[in-house]
Amino acid sequence: MEAKKTNYFVNALKTIWDGIKQPVVATFLGLIVGAIVILIANISPDINVGILEVYAELFKGAFGSGYYIMASLTRATPIIFCAMATAFAWRAGYINIGVEGQMIVGALVATCIAVYMPGPGIVVILVSLLAGIVAGGLYALLAAWLNLNFGASLVIITLMMNYVANYFASYMVSFPIKDNTVTGITAQSMEIPADARLPRLVTGNTIHFGFILAILVTLFLLFIVKKTIFGYESKMSGLNPFFAIYGGVKRAKVMFLTMFLSGAVGALAGGVEVLGLKYRYIDNMLASGNYAWTGLQAALIANLNPVGMFFTSIFLAGLQQGGAALQRKVDLPLEISTIIQCSITLFVSVKFTWNLIKKKKMQKAIAEGGNK
Amino acid sequence: MLLEMKNITKVYGSLVANDNINLTLNKGEILAVVGENGAGKSTLMKILYGLEKPTGGEIIIDGEKQNFKSPHDAMHHGIGMVQQHFMLFDTFTVAENIVYGKEPKKGSLFFNRNKAVEIVKELSEKYGLEIDPTLKVNECPVGLQQRVEILKVLYQDADIIIFDEPSAVLTPQEVSELIKTMKNLAAMGKSLIIVTHKLQEVMDVSDRVMIMRSGKFVKEMPTSETSIEEMSFLMVGRRIIDKEVKEQATTGKVLDIENLVLHGEGGKNVLDGLSMNVEAGEIVGIAGVSGNGQSELIECITGLKPFDGGEVRLLETDIKGKSVGQIREAGCACIPEDRYLYGCASKATLVETSIMAHYEKSELSSHGLLKDKAVKSFTQDLIDRYDVRTSGLSQKAGELSGGNIQKLIVAREIEQNSPLLIAAEPTRGVDIGAIEFIHNKLLEKRAKGDAVLLISSELSEIMTLSDRIYVIYEGKIAGEFRRGHVTEEQLGLLMMGGKADGSKEN
Repeated sequence: MEAKKTNYFVNALKTIWDGIKQPVVATFLGLIVGAIVILIANISPDINVGILEVYAELFKGAFGSGYYIMASLTRATPIIFCAMATAFAWRAGYINIGVEGQMIVGALVATCIAVYMPGPGIVVILVSLLAGIVAGGLYALLAAWLNLNFGASLVIITLMMNYVANYFASYMVSFPIKDNTVTGITAQSMEIPADARLPRLVTGNTIHFGFILAILVTLFLLFIVKKTIFGYESKMSGLNPFFAIYGGVKRAKVMFLTMFLSGAVGALAGGVEVLGLKYRYIDNMLASGNYAWTGLQAALIANLNPVGMFFTSIFLAGLQQGGAALQRKVDLPLEISTIIQCSITLFVSVKFTWNLIKKKKMQKAIAEGGNK
Repeated sequence: MLLEMKNITKVYGSLVANDNINLTLNKGEILAVVGENGAGKSTLMKILYGLEKPTGGEIIIDGEKQNFKSPHDAMHHGIGMVQQHFMLFDTFTVAENIVYGKEPKKGSLFFNRNKAVEIVKELSEKYGLEIDPTLKVNECPVGLQQRVEILKVLYQDADIIIFDEPSAVLTPQEVSELIKTMKNLAAMGKSLIIVTHKLQEVMDVSDRVMIMRSGKFVKEMPTSETSIEEMSFLMVGRRIIDKEVKEQATTGKVLDIENLVLHGEGGKNVLDGLSMNVEAGEIVGIAGVSGNGQSELIECITGLKPFDGGEVRLLETDIKGKSVGQIREAGCACIPEDRYLYGCASKATLVETSIMAHYEKSELSSHGLLKDKAVKSFTQDLIDRYDVRTSGLSQKAGELSGGNIQKLIVAREIEQNSPLLIAAEPTRGVDIGAIEFIHNKLLEKRAKGDAVLLISSELSEIMTLSDRIYVIYEGKIAGEFRRGHVTEEQLGLLMMGGKADGSKEN
């Protein structure tokens, strides 16, 4: 009886470990690659710090105090949305890499409404976020429609539509909605009025209500995945589209709904970033922030698992936040953290490739009859 | 003794796939290794061919102990394997495929194509395996493709040739050709191991037979001293009863197809004015060599492919332009021909696999939400009643053995309780026990008064189960027969495009 219980416990631990070993090992390897890079960058004589010291600083800068934790969570907020947006589409087999574009469209529409719509703050907030969501959703839907009707590759369309969105937003803040109250050449929109901003969660800190929304979106995705028919249909479409179609799943319906939701969540990332943190749209601010791509990496590392993506996003945001601290304190370039982040993603994807190579090798051996 | 496998044991986790197996093979001998799927015969062959490493035991060839790390090593020691799924390059010629991996060279750099053709000609003459070396593989019928595989193994100087389910994809005529070939090879001093679960072939071709069950050695004997009945008893561990199918009246057309046309590539019709029907309370079999329009016929009926002409009626519904979901609702369920392509997703759990096409029923979901408990008990019920061996509901479909996932798919489709059930290759690659089980389920379905359309490349399956048989050839119906009014040979002839003289009813 006792032995059986321990067995269950060991088995449960083993299952959990099986789920997270890839990201954990990848993180470890990523840190090693980072260490090598730091050693190389460290050659110049005027900076001389040990690896562990650097990582300690990195951690301090990310999660070392209440202030830094909240700064990391602020940065994590749009990344969480972007990870969820990516996962919505990817788990159904639709490789949407246009989350950045959908985010920009959402941010732009939300900005326009928040700046120009009169009325009580709460109404303005709701309308502007909703309008952003719809706009981003439709923007993603356009890509789906092009794919379904003209067979254009979804990957390429969504990727290209990122640029369309970014340049269109550039135009908008350079001319029609440019803030002309300040002199200077910065292309940016007017600031949104104080009552149309999302509330801060802690005074004196940047963390805002958007983080709560990010948690809600995570729970929403979890609910869709675990409980709904739509979640089931889209998962089956992703695992084996032939199986889904054979079972009577309507491909177009699932695709449109999936892409709309993906775009909508991406757009919410943009709207929330404007209403909660930046208070205006500044040219190129979302593209240069790399939120969508970081979110995509979080989705990959966590293998599209909602809870996993939530924490991975925070981890990656902390890494970036800590990287900035490194630059300030030990004069190491900010790119160190980018290198670590990318190495981790790379090491996670090694698994897939490795399996593929093994399979190919075996097939080749059989085809040759083992002769050379 | 040429080959000896001694005390071979292979353990995967908690599963013992091979438990202390001994196998011997003499020069010029044909040994049949038989057993149900999961009996461990494939594992044993994989070990011999260097694809798997045994947990224990040794392989001795010509008195020398061997340690194969890859098929490479095995091949080097004269072991070749004719795979069930051919490993050929479709767009290359026969000769190119045969010499691949050990090509004759011009100088030390260039491939000598003419020499390759010459080599293959010599080889085919030497072993009496006639073939045109310049033919492209995709222009060869399946039987010839298998011949290419055999020649490839011979070209690599194999003395021991393993045949893995060699007759699975062949017509009766091709099977008898193959049997001749195998006997001929043995007479020329090659040693053959045939892995199969078709017992008639074992009787026809082998000198000795070795029977395995659940990873264990059961018995070995000269083929001349045993019978099909004894072998099947030893394989399954119990008696398989021959089926007596009772005559039963039919009650009206369920499926009615008239002049069905589907255009193919290059102006040739894949389905070319095909007409047939299935009535309630009967099993109708479609016999044919694969690639004569069977797959497309199913795709047209189930709505996976829109057809170009003709009419398909399912009960009262004209299904032209209807979606898969609508046709399922109108009363059609389908056991798909390829269980891994259409039947399941290998990474989906058993629950997810089982509820496909069921999940919108009010017992399993409401308002777009799945009822967690209900879907689990629904799945458990299917697993219990259809005897699916699993380790739990969260197991992945791809982790089940072929026979078990097939039983689950059969369960899912039969439990749709639809007036029409399409069963395409319902027992392809599954073991005797599962075959018997699935056949019984199909007969139960018929007894309930439903219509079953059976499509199978296994003629014996068609002959035992069907009340009526259609032969399909090049997208057309080439003949129609009632039960007992046709022989396997006549069907085989029609399947190849010949005429069945005088035997045609209707």
